Formats: sequence, C-alpha cells, structure tokens
Amino acid sequence: MTTDKRFLVTKETAWCPGCGNFGIINAMSEALDGLGLKPHEVLYVSGIGQAGKTPHYIKGNVLNTLHGRTLPTATGAKLANSELTVIAIGGDGDGYAEGGNHFLHALRKNVNITYLVHDNQVFGLTKGQASPRTDQGMVTGTTPSGSTYEAFNPLAVAISLKGSFVARSYAGDREHLVKTLQAAIQHEGFAFIDILQPCVTFNKVNTYQWYRERVYDLNADPDYDPSNQIMAWERSWEWGDKIPIGIFYQKARPTLDQSKSVIQKQPLVKQELVSEHVQEIINQFQA
Amino acid sequence: MHALKTFNILIGGEAGQGLVSVGNILLRAITKEGWYLFAHQDYESRIRGGHNFFKFRLANQPVYAGENRIDLLVALDKTSINRHQEDLGEAGIVFYDPKVVGKEIDQPNFLPISFVDIAVEQGQLIVMANAVAAGAIWALLSDNLTNLVAVLTEMFKEKGSAIVEGNVKVAEAGFNFVRQSFAEIQRPEKPADQSKRIVLQGNQALPSGALAAGVKFMSAYPMTPATGVTEFIAAYGEKCSVIMEQAEDEIAAINMAIGAAYAGVRAMTATSGGGFALMTEALGYAGAAEIPVVVINAQRPGPSTGLPTRTEQGDLLFAVTTSFSDFPKAVLAPGDVEEAFYLMSTAFNLAERYQMPVIVLSDQHLADSYQTVAPFDLSKIAIDRGAVVNGAATSDKYLRYRDTDSGISPRLYPGFGEGLVVSAGDEHDEAGHLVEDIESRVKMMDKRMRKMIGVYNEALDPVTYGSDQPEYVLIGFGSTKGAIREAVDLLETYGYPGLAVHLPQVYPLPASLAKILKGPGKKFIVESNFTGQLYRLLSMEFAWKADGRVRRYDGRPINAEYIIDWLIGGES
Repeated sequence: MTTDKRFLVTKETAWCPGCGNFGIINAMSEALDGLGLKPHEVLYVSGIGQAGKTPHYIKGNVLNTLHGRTLPTATGAKLANSELTVIAIGGDGDGYAEGGNHFLHALRKNVNITYLVHDNQVFGLTKGQASPRTDQGMVTGTTPSGSTYEAFNPLAVAISLKGSFVARSYAGDREHLVKTLQAAIQHEGFAFIDILQPCVTFNKVNTYQWYRERVYDLNADPDYDPSNQIMAWERSWEWGDKIPIGIFYQKARPTLDQSKSVIQKQPLVKQELVSEHVQEIINQFQA
Repeated sequence: MHALKTFNILIGGEAGQGLVSVGNILLRAITKEGWYLFAHQDYESRIRGGHNFFKFRLANQPVYAGENRIDLLVALDKTSINRHQEDLGEAGIVFYDPKVVGKEIDQPNFLPISFVDIAVEQGQLIVMANAVAAGAIWALLSDNLTNLVAVLTEMFKEKGSAIVEGNVKVAEAGFNFVRQSFAEIQRPEKPADQSKRIVLQGNQALPSGALAAGVKFMSAYPMTPATGVTEFIAAYGEKCSVIMEQAEDEIAAINMAIGAAYAGVRAMTATSGGGFALMTEALGYAGAAEIPVVVINAQRPGPSTGLPTRTEQGDLLFAVTTSFSDFPKAVLAPGDVEEAFYLMSTAFNLAERYQMPVIVLSDQHLADSYQTVAPFDLSKIAIDRGAVVNGAATSDKYLRYRDTDSGISPRLYPGFGEGLVVSAGDEHDEAGHLVEDIESRVKMMDKRMRKMIGVYNEALDPVTYGSDQPEYVLIGFGSTKGAIREAVDLLETYGYPGLAVHLPQVYPLPASLAKILKGPGKKFIVESNFTGQLYRLLSMEFAWKADGRVRRYDGRPINAEYIIDWLIGGES
C-alpha cells in the first residue's frame, strides 16, 4: 500500500467550523489513498447543497451537477467510461427529495458506482428547513410546529429493492467510515452509504453527542448476516436509543455496465466513433 | 420536364387492423416499382379502434408533401368512406368491404371487395385481409405482381415460408379480383428517370444520421412522436456499439446524456414537448458547464398533453429561449428526411465544437412521413470533435475553462491524463471550482457567450427555391419545407413568381436571411402554431414585419393547397 498523500484536501472551504463534512472528506481522502487510486482515475459526481461542494475540496475529476441529479449523471459517465471509479455525492435533500426517483432506479439497475449521502437530516445550504430525513416533531424553518411526517428510511428502501451494497456510517467515526468507504468502492455494483452527519448550525437535535451515545457497529455482532435481506430490512428500522452503523446488506448481482455487451472489451469512450455497420443499416431503406 | 402527375391512395381503418404493416409493404413496393412517393400517417392516441389512415402520393417526379385529392380510397372501416369520400377526385374510386361497411354501395366507382372472405377462401388467416387489400391496390399500379411479391417475401421471411406463401397467395387473389372487375385500368404515370432511391421516414433518418455522426450513447424516456428515434437506436445500437439506456424520466434521460458527453462520447436524447420541458434545467446546466449534448424534440400539439399523435411547430420559441438566463446554444430544424439525416452530424459537430447543447426540432409530420430520396452518401459526412487536448501531455495544471479568444476551452476527457476535469453549473473559475467574485463572473460569462460569435458566423444559410424576382416569398422552418416549395410551384402555374425560404437553423439565425427579408416580394410566414412563433422570432431578431401569415394549429400537416387557400383567403 502506498503511503504518499495524493487525494489532498483543501484547507479553504465554504463549510461551518465543526461541520460533519470535514469528517467525511478526510475519510474519503484516506480511503482513496489507501486503495492506491490516483486522482485522475476518480470521478466525483455531486449535486447541490453543502455536500455537493465536497469534490471541489479534494483532488479528482469533478462533475458538479444539478440539485438531485447526481445519479443519472453518474450513470451516463460510468457507461461512457467504465474504467473510471465513479463516486456520486449529495445530501439527504438532494438524494431523497429532489432526486428520489433516480435513487430507486439506480438501485434497481445496480449501476456500478458508489453513492454517498451526507445525511444531516436538514437542508443546510438553504439554512435549516426540514428534509425527508427530519425526525417527527423537529422544529425547522418550514415546520414551525414540528415536522409531522414520518422520516424517510433510505436503508429500508434500498434493502427492499435489493441494493447490492447498503450501508450506514457516521461522520464522527473516522475508522468506521474509511473502512466502509473502501468496501463500497471495491464493491462491484451500486454501493450506497448513508452517512450520518451532524449539522452544527441548523440541527440542534442530532448532534455529535447525540450520535456518540447511540451509534454501534452492526457488523461487530457475529450473528448478523449481511446477506440476509429480511434480517437487514428489520435492522434498518432500528432508530432511537440505539442506531446501528455498518454494512446492512451486501449481495452481488449483475451490474448495469456488465449488462451492456458493447462495453465488455473496451469502454465506450475508447472505441471508434462511427461503426462500419452504418452503411448496412441505411441500406435497409432501399426498396 | 414532364408535367407533374400524381396519384393519391388513402387506406383507412381502425387501430389494430394492421394499417402500418400494409403501409410499409406498399411503401417499399411502390418505390421498387419506380414512383416517387410522399406518404403520411394520421393516427389516434389509442391502440385499438378509432380511425387511422395512411396516405400515399405517387408521382412521376419528386414530391415533397401530401395533397388533398384522393384517387383511390381503400376503406377497411366505415369511417373511411364517411370521412374521406368528399376528397375523391373526378375519377376517384373506392375499394370497400361490404361486410365491414354494412351494405353494398350502388355507385359505379365503388368496388366491393370482400378482403376478409377472400383471405379465408384461400385457406389463409383473417389477418391476411391486408395482403388482399395490398394485392387489390397493386392491380391499379402494375400489370404484374413481381415487386409486391418481392416485398411481401422480404417482410415476412422471418415468420417462415407458410406465412410468406399465404400472403403471396391472397395478394394474388386480390390482384386478380380487381383485374377481372375493371375492364380498363388507367395506370399512374411513372417517372422518366429510374434513379436509385430509398424510402424512409424522419424517425428513421434522424437516428440513422446520428449513427453516421458517431453517437455512442443515447438515453431516453418514451414519448410520442419521438419514440421511433429511441427504438431505432435501441434496435441498431448494439451492432454499431452504441448504448441506448431507457431512463426513469426525461430529467434522468438528459442528465445521463450529459454525464456520458462529459466523459467524452457523443451523446443525445429524444423527446417531445412535455419531456423537453422537463429537460430544460439540464440544458442550462450543459450551457454553464460547457458539455456538448444533442436533444431531438419531435414536436406535437400542446399545451400540456395536447394532441399526442398530431403535428405542430409550437415549441419554436420555447426551444430558442430554452432554460433560464443566457448560454450558448443552437437550434436546427430539418425540413425533410434527407436534411434530417445530414443535419444530425451538423448538430453533433456544433455541439462539440462549441461545447454547448444543440436542439434538433422535428415534429410528428416529419417523424412519421415517408419520402423517396437519393441514397444517403456517408462520404458527405465530416466529423469535427472540436478542440480536445492530448490527455497524456496534461498535468494538474490543466484548466477546463481556460479563457481563450474564441471562448472555446480545449476539452480533456476525464481519465485520459493527469489533468483533472472539473465541471460545475455554479459559476466557476478557469479550473472549474466555485467562485462568486464580480471579476470571475464577468470573465466567465463573457467567455461562454463569446462562443456565440463563432456559432453565429457559421449559422446555416436559408435553403431557397424559386424566383429571384418573386412576388410572393414564403418563409418557414422544419417540416413545412416541402409544402412551401410546392406552394411556390402552384403559384408559378397561376402566373405569380414565388420564392420558398426554408430555415434549417432557427437559432442563431444567419445574417444572410436579412437580405431575403429586405428583398423583393410580399413576405408570408408559414408555420404550424397559433401565435406565429417564427414571425415573432424574425420580428425580434431583425426588427422586421411580414406582409402576412399562414398558420395551422389543428394538428394536421400544412400542404401546398392549404397555403394557397390562406393566401387567397388572406390574413394580415
């Protein structure tokens, strides 16, 4: 394993001091260095929100796209150049509200990318409105009497759709996050990590201390079987005094790029542009 | 040149009766037999029932649009007679099945043919009634079955020899029935030239043109009338090593294409107005992030779901002004199948040269209408991928948005070198990272918009036809091209010299158009929408006023007679 630091992280960021994003970006840097990757081999596709800015602060190729559209954009890039290590990054508003439909279909199709959701249970960049992940009762700018909705459970959804790699980690546990990121990047298929992340400015409920008292490593239990979909689904609903983190579910199945016969030998971007078969195709219009 | 002689056949029936298959058989057989052809389809947004028709215009010289008159009406349902008999020409005849119509019609030009019974009498399947009709029609077109049999054989060969033989047998029966019933058959005049021709529709020409232009990736969500493009790439993509990915919605479709284009392949999507509306935010993104992507918008009448299977040119201003704020883009508007084929490479070249979205406006009339044209010549297609740096020579000093005189910053495909490709829709610096300062904003906005000088300078010239001293100048874009040309021919026969002006590019408009607008003749804008969107666009861009407008917004295609009627009827 190489020891030089390639995935350098910028000091200058637009984030609040103490933001959970710092824990995530430092873990990403360590995980990518540890895997021996080079920055130009990696493409981050990010959305809009504080999480969406992450790739601008770490070495690599960046496609900072529209709010909610990380997954289709990353899917197109991966299909065009399947040699790139593609990591999609967004917040819980970006991925579960604006981009919810894409999440379902990326899971179904098993797109061979890593998807990181910085889950702070609130809209940070727009200053603290409720997100799909906001717990019931929480007071925010758009829910002055407290949120009345059931919080979205991304893990339960991902497991139900047989997401091939479904995990949760925590921005405050560097070691766990690095380990989980590396497992996700090495996974063949759609590797999804919901990363619990305190928002020090707008979420006064789900704080570092709140998480510290609750999170525990699911995979430390020798009886937990991450290939068991039912067990994983049941565990995904545990939220309260105890919050499990770890790989909930992992089961290999064919990936989207494996299903495309035309890119099995060479990525699309390295192929001849115009096929020799075009003439045959237009010949069919001869009567 | 011989005088234009045309012969028009309309076959009408319910959805589900196999009109499309009999239509496809006749298209090929008629072309093989040597006529020039224009054929259009009229269908409803349903899978069974209703009333659909296929109308063929056979001619002794090239034809570019449909014509009102019907010379042979083939009624596979009762509605075909009720709805279309008023268009029968003086010598027009009708083939009908008395069982379907419910009675015998005692008129000399109505010939009862029991399509279903003939198929069954020949010991064949009821579905082959269509082949009986094809054979009956063929009796008016040829004295032998050679070309029809060749096409039937080709079309059904995958279904096995029993099906081929059955279809041939019933077609022969239909053919013989008509020959025995008509003492003397007047055959439509054939062209003097028997040049090699192909026959196809816009929804085949556009994707064929895209394949010839080197499209490698398409993502789309099905929507009439664009679905034909998508299915064509899905069907032939694999052979050409192209990926067609069906997306979960149009927003995903355009963003997948943008992702693929960023990674370095030629990428596109196809949709209609509703889907195009959903794509507009991403088109602005492609403008800001300078990612080349091609979007085909096959227009249909709106607003909203509108008339899903009909035609309109109502998205012109929406396409030209698409997405919020200002960014470089181009909008092309092919007018016929030939232009549709060749303009796809223009679209990709423009998109990549200027690193911007290019919209290709089609519509249901272009998408679904068939035309005979000269075989496409692949050697005419030039591919220009624009400025791309050699990846191996790059370092981490590479600037994706380097400020240049032309505004064009040479691209690097991510992963092709040490250079990092950083793209964003937020305002960014030359490296692609987010900035908010005044100086950077102005510099980057200027850089992007400077590209429009190049786009403008190479804008496609108007395609003109007719007199250089016209009394009437008819100006249009997209699928009205053929109708306008034929209207100019009609005007000529009435003694009025005319000029047809077709705009294959509607944004940015070429400088050369100004000369035409200021030139001789009364100017009329011909278009299929309510408010006269081309008229408004020309007024806006050239501070100019036309002498009149010809509009249609009932969802049906404009033809030459429609234009002349409006010119006589008048509307200022």
